[in-house]
Amino acid sequence: MDYNYSDLQKMLLDTAERFLRSHYTLEHRRALRKSPDGLDADAWAQFAELGWLALAIPEEQGGLDGEITDIAVLMTAFGANLVPDPIVSTAVTAPYLLSHADQPDSDLFEAIISGEARVALAHDEPGERYAYSAPRKTLLSKTGNGYTISGEKQLVIDAPSATHLIVTAQIEGSGDFALALVPATQKEVSAYSYNLIDSARASDVKFNKAEATAVLLTGPKASSVFGEAIDRTSIAYGAQAVGSMESALQICSAYIKERQQFGQPIGKFQALQHIMADMFVATHQARSALYQALAQVDAPERDRQRAVSLAKITIGEASQLVSKQGIQLHGGYGLTDEYEISHHYRRLTAIEKLYGDIDHHVRRIGAMTQTA
Amino acid sequence: MDLKFDASLADFRTMIRDAIKQDLPREIQERTRLFGGANSSDPHDSLAWMKILSKRGWTVPHWPEIYGGKNWSPLQLFIFQEELYKAYAPDTCWGGTHMVGPIIYTFGSEAQKEQFLPAIRNGDYYWAQGFSEPGSGSDLASLRTAAVRKGDKYIVNGQKIWTSCAYMSEWGFFLVRTDPEVKPQRGISFLLINMKSPGITIRRIPQINEEAELCEVFLDDVEVPAEQLVGEEGQGWSYAKFLLDHERTTSSFIYFNKRELDRAKMIATEETLDGVPLILHPNFQGRIARLEAEISALEGSVMRLLANEEFKYNETAVASILKVSGSKLQQALTELHVDLIGPKAIRHYASESVDRDPYDPWPDHIPGRTSQALILRASTIYGGSLQVQKNIIAKLAFGL
Repeated sequence: MDYNYSDLQKMLLDTAERFLRSHYTLEHRRALRKSPDGLDADAWAQFAELGWLALAIPEEQGGLDGEITDIAVLMTAFGANLVPDPIVSTAVTAPYLLSHADQPDSDLFEAIISGEARVALAHDEPGERYAYSAPRKTLLSKTGNGYTISGEKQLVIDAPSATHLIVTAQIEGSGDFALALVPATQKEVSAYSYNLIDSARASDVKFNKAEATAVLLTGPKASSVFGEAIDRTSIAYGAQAVGSMESALQICSAYIKERQQFGQPIGKFQALQHIMADMFVATHQARSALYQALAQVDAPERDRQRAVSLAKITIGEASQLVSKQGIQLHGGYGLTDEYEISHHYRRLTAIEKLYGDIDHHVRRIGAMTQTA
Repeated sequence: MDLKFDASLADFRTMIRDAIKQDLPREIQERTRLFGGANSSDPHDSLAWMKILSKRGWTVPHWPEIYGGKNWSPLQLFIFQEELYKAYAPDTCWGGTHMVGPIIYTFGSEAQKEQFLPAIRNGDYYWAQGFSEPGSGSDLASLRTAAVRKGDKYIVNGQKIWTSCAYMSEWGFFLVRTDPEVKPQRGISFLLINMKSPGITIRRIPQINEEAELCEVFLDDVEVPAEQLVGEEGQGWSYAKFLLDHERTTSSFIYFNKRELDRAKMIATEETLDGVPLILHPNFQGRIARLEAEISALEGSVMRLLANEEFKYNETAVASILKVSGSKLQQALTELHVDLIGPKAIRHYASESVDRDPYDPWPDHIPGRTSQALILRASTIYGGSLQVQKNIIAKLAFGL
C-alpha cells in the first residue's frame, strides 16, 4: 500500500493549488455570484488548457485516462479553494456515463476537452430525494427516426451553464430505464435557475418533447453504470469536502493565533485548543474515509456501495463538525460573508446534501443489513 | 498511490487463521469471548496461550529477527493481530512483548537480553508496569518514587498505581526518580524489579465492574541490584517515549473495535423488540452504520501510518488521532452492546464465574458485556487521557 502522491499527482496538485489559489480569491468568488450562469469562462478555459477536463476521459476518446484517485486528488484542490464552477458534473460524472455509452460520441468528448461543452446530470424529480433506483416519471419516446423526452427534473446541479443534459427516464412502451443525451439549448427545454448557498448553480428543468440526440444506455446496464457514476460523483464531492476541511483547519489555526482577547491570542485557551484538536481528528479521519472508498471503487457493487456510504457518513459528519466549530472559533466574524470560514461552512453543507446526505447513506447501509 | 489492501496477503491470512483455529484451546477462547479484558483469569490464559504460540515462534513476531521476531511486514503483523482478536485469543503479556521487551533489546545490557528476552518470548511469567503514581497521572514526569544508589544497589521507596496484574507478576519495569535535582524528565530512570523482592506490598483495587485486576504497589526500602537498571541513568523518560513512537498504531484498538462491531451486529440479530430483531430497527441500524463508518475511517488511518505516509502535520499528533478515535469507539461500541441488551443489561455477572450456571436461562451474548462497558470508561483515561491527546495535537499540529 502506498498513500503518498505519485509524481503525476504531485504535479497535478501543485498546478491546481497555484492556479486556483491565485484565481479564486474571496472577492472574485463573491463577484461570480452575480454572473448569469455561474460560469467563470476564463477559468474554464484554463481548466481545458491544463487538461483537467480531459482527466477522466479515456485515451481512445482523446482524454488523459486518469484514475479516479487522480481525479480525487485534483478535487481536493477544488474544495480547498471553494471553486463554484461546474467541474464535477462535466469532468467526473458525465465522462463516466458517456464513456460507458453503447456508442461513445467522440465529438462531444472533443467539445468537453476543449471547454466548449458542459454536461449536467438531470435525475431528481419533484417530490423525491436521492431516489437513485426508483422508476422515472420522465419518459423517453421513439419518434420516427429519433427520440424525444418529456418530464420534469428538479435541482439539476450545474444545469445553468450546461450545453447538454444527461437525462434519466423510462422508455415509453418497454418501461426500461434509460439515459438520454439532450442538448440544453432547445426551446422544448425550459429551465428555472437559481443560486445555491455555496454559489454553485442549479435549475429545475422541464422537457416538452425535447429532442434526445442519443440514447446512451438502456436497461440493467444503464442502471448499473448510473449507480457507478453516482458513487464516483459522491467520491469527487467527498474529496472536495476533504480539501475544504483541510483549508478550514489552516484558516482557523491562523485565526486563533492572531485574534487577541483578554490580553493574549485566543489560541492559548485550552477550550479552543481542544476544539482545534477535534477538528484535526475529524479532518484526518475524513481523508482516511475517502481513501477507503477509493480503494473499493471498482469492487463488486455491494462492496463499493458500502465503502462509499461509509465514507460519505464520515465525511459528512466531519465536515459539519469542522465548519461549524470553525465558525465558533471565529466568533461573530465567522458569520460574515467577508471571512472564508463561512464559505467553507456553506460549501460543506451543500456537499453533504449532494447525491445522498448522511441520512441517505445510513439508510443505504441499513438496507444492506436487511438483505444480508 | 496504491490504496487497495494487498490481495496477495490472502494466503497469509488463511495460514494464520487456520493455525489459530488449530491451536487455541476452546476454554481459553470461551473465557476471552465472554470476559476478555475484564477477568482475573486473563493473565493465566495469556501465559498459557503464549506457551502454545511460542511453539510456532509467534509470541513476538514484531521483534527483530535476531531476538526471535518473524520479519513480517507491517501489514502481515496487522493481519496476525486482527485474526487473533477475531478468534477471541487472549492478548500476550503486553507489558513484556510490547513494552519492556523492545526496551531491553534496544537499550538493555547483554546480560539483561540473555536473562529476560527468552522468558518474555516464552511467556514464562507476567510483567507489571510501574509508571503511574497516586500524584502523577497525566503529569507522569512529576513521579516521585525514588531510587537511591547505594554501592551496587538501588534503594527504592515510593508508590505506584494502576499496575495491571501486579499481584501475579514476577517482574516489573518501573520508572523511578534517580536525580531529584535536574529537570523532572531528566531525573527518571528505568529499573527492572523482581516483584517478590522484600519491601514490596501489593493491594488489588476493587473496580467498577467488581473485578480487581488493577493494583497499587508500595515500595518500601526495596533493594534492587544496580545491573537491573536499563540503559543509562536519567534516560528513563526517553525510553518511555520511545515506546510511544514504537507502538504508534496500538492505541487505535482497531482489532478490538472491528471485532466488537461484529459482536454488536450479532447481539442485534439475537435481541428483539416487538418480535423484530433489533438489527432491522432503523434506530439501531443508524447507530451501527455510524460506528461502522468511524471504524472504517480509523482502519484507513491505521493503514496510512503503517504504510509510512508522509504527513503534512507532526506524526505524533497524527498518532494521537488513533488514540482519540479508538478510545471513544471502544466506549461507543460497548455502550451499544449494553443498549442492545436493554433491561437485561443491568444484571450483574461475576467475571470470575467463567463456568456458567447451567440453569441460567439467559443467552450467552449477555454475560460480560456490561462489565466490559463499565471498565472501558478507562479507555479515554489511561495511556494519555483524551484531554492529554488533544493537548498534544494542539501543540504539535498547530503550535498552539
